[in-house]
Amino acid sequence: METTDLDLARDAASGQEAAFEALVRRYQGKVRGLTRRLAARPVEADDLAQAAFLTAWRKIGTYRGGSFKAWLCTIAYREFLQARRKQKPEVEFDEGAHVIAFDVSAARMADHMDLDRALKTLPENQRICVVLCVAAGLSHAEAAGATGFPLGTVKSHVNRGVAALRKQLAPGNVA
Amino acid sequence: MEHEERYEDLTALFEAQDDALQSDAFVERVMTPVKKRSRWRTPLLFGAGGIGIGAALSQIGGVWDLVKSRAPELDVTFEAAPAAQINLEMQSIWLVATVVIVVACAAIVATERA
Repeated sequence: METTDLDLARDAASGQEAAFEALVRRYQGKVRGLTRRLAARPVEADDLAQAAFLTAWRKIGTYRGGSFKAWLCTIAYREFLQARRKQKPEVEFDEGAHVIAFDVSAARMADHMDLDRALKTLPENQRICVVLCVAAGLSHAEAAGATGFPLGTVKSHVNRGVAALRKQLAPGNVA
Repeated sequence: MEHEERYEDLTALFEAQDDALQSDAFVERVMTPVKKRSRWRTPLLFGAGGIGIGAALSQIGGVWDLVKSRAPELDVTFEAAPAAQINLEMQSIWLVATVVIVVACAAIVATERA
């Protein structure tokens, strides 16, 4: 039986690095995916993901149960906000780099490129809510807690964002 | 619990991207500083704490000897011999400083990952 997140977090809080490593292995895809969809460049995104995990290691004693994924994604989202505050405003998405960094088969690459392009067309707050709720799998309430947006705003952003993505990804609309 | 709409079509695409991001290199990138930090931090803090405790204990002995040797003349000593008073104050400063170091180290260790 797979060890639960709570058990691993407790072991990590008592100083067991192996337990924390298991959590990193379990959630690296989610966290790296989240930061790549939010950040400007893949290199920066992996820096953010690493920073998020290191913050999680320092604060692991404050995790008291509930969704570990939501706890971790909230940390990653805050790392993104902190990094963005330090950034120059003119830095935008580097489309080429963002696409190349995904290690997937050529057959799936087209789908991913379309998805990335479609995601980038969304207004920022919509994109943030879609990334947290649809890509990372947080509930609306968890996303509201992470972002500080009102629950109704999160729902509305997600619904509009999803509709826009579906429209763009529909056959005939894909570039 | 409130029903939340599922987005299986989009979620499947995002999950495929996330699965493709699994990498041992990234795990190592995260774990290297974690392990390095753990390796030096605790011994360093406990070492500093130990030195602090040792220094504090040695100072307590010195203060006690001083008090014992000066006990009969203590009242006059402070007025008549300012040097002895300064010496005692120095001892007290050392004592306070070492206690502060010990408490700070203990607090850092205790709250390291709280």
